[in-house]
Amino acid sequence: MCDACDCGHVHIHEHPPHSPLTKGGQRGVKTVDVNQSLLKANNEAAVNNRQHFTDRGILAINLISSPGSGKTTLLEKTVEVLKDEISIGVLEGDIETALDAERIRAKGVPAEQLTTGGACHLDASQVHKGFHFLEHHLHGKKLDVLFIENVGNLVCPSFFDLGEHVRVVLISVPEGHDKPVKYPKAIRTSQLLIISKADLVQYFDFDISKIKKDALALNPSMKIIVTSAKTGEGMDEWIEFLKTNLKQK
Amino acid sequence: MHEVSIALGMVDELYRIARKNNAERISSVKLKIGKMSGIVTDSLKFAFDAVKLEHPLLSRAEIIIEEVPLVYECNDCHVSFDAADIYFPSCGVCGSRNLRLVSGEEQHIESVEVTD
Repeated sequence: MCDACDCGHVHIHEHPPHSPLTKGGQRGVKTVDVNQSLLKANNEAAVNNRQHFTDRGILAINLISSPGSGKTTLLEKTVEVLKDEISIGVLEGDIETALDAERIRAKGVPAEQLTTGGACHLDASQVHKGFHFLEHHLHGKKLDVLFIENVGNLVCPSFFDLGEHVRVVLISVPEGHDKPVKYPKAIRTSQLLIISKADLVQYFDFDISKIKKDALALNPSMKIIVTSAKTGEGMDEWIEFLKTNLKQK
Repeated sequence: MHEVSIALGMVDELYRIARKNNAERISSVKLKIGKMSGIVTDSLKFAFDAVKLEHPLLSRAEIIIEEVPLVYECNDCHVSFDAADIYFPSCGVCGSRNLRLVSGEEQHIESVEVTD
C-alpha cells in the first residue's frame, strides 16, 4: 500500500537505506526493547489449546511425518482397535481435499478436515477453530484422545506447537534411515518415533539399528516403536503407549 | 517454507508493538536467530521484504539479524564451548555427549526502532 498518497496501490519507492527521520537522535525515533519469540502468537494459542484439552481430560497427540508415511493408515488401524474402548476424535490437516477426514469418518469416529490452502503446516489457531467444529459433531460426548494429523511435511510442522501433549513423528522404511539426521528438529521435538512400513524392510537398504542410534543421539529420551500396519507388527506397543499416556492424564 | 508464516506472524506482532508505543512507522527490527533455530535467515528476510510492502507501517523497515552461536555446557566437566557439529556435538575437553544447550535455538525479536 502506498503510504505517501494513500491511493491504495502498491508502489515500490526508492529510498536510501536509512531515511533522515530514522537516524539515531532524530525527533520521534526511539528503540523499543521487545525480547519475545517470533512465534509468540502461535505459542500463546498453543498454551490455551493445551489448557482447554487438559481441562476436559483429553489427551492431544500431534502426528507429523513426510507425505505418505502412513499417518492416516496408522489412525485407521488405531481406531479399529480402540474405538469401542475409548472415545477418539481426529483433526486432519492437509493442503487440499477432505479425503483423509472421510477415511477416518468411514471408521466411525468424528473427524474434521483442516485445509490450509497452501500452508505447509498446521498452527495453533487452526487447531483451536477445528476443535470447535469437531465439538459440534460430538453432541456433548466426551473425548479421551484427540489425534491431530499434521500436513505431510517433516520440516515446518516441527516449529509450531499446536497445544498437543504428545508429539509423534513417523518415518517409513521407503524414506530411508537417514531422515533423523536430515530433519533433526522433528526428532528433537517429538516424544515418540514410529518407524512405519516395517514389512518393506527386506526390499530396502534400511538400517533399523542406525536410525534408532541417530534418533537417540538427537533425543535421548525418545521412545521408538517399529510398526507395520500391514502385518500388525508393533501395533500392541503403540496401543500400550497410548493407554499409558491416557492414564498419566 | 515456514519462514513465510513466521514473517506474517512478525507483521502482526509489529503492529501490536507499534500500537502500544503510538508509533507511526517502524524503521528497523532486530532479531536474534540461533544457529540451530531451523530458521533460514535469508528466507526470512526475503519473506519479510515481500510482505512488508503491503503495510505502510513497515514498508521501510529493515531487518537486522544477529546470529547466535551454538553453545553447550558439558554436564560432566562443566566447560562451555562453541559446537562445531550441529547435530551430534560432544565436549571438546572430555568427549562427553552429556551436554546442556546454552544458546543456539533463539528465534526472538530483540528490539524495534519506531518513529512516532
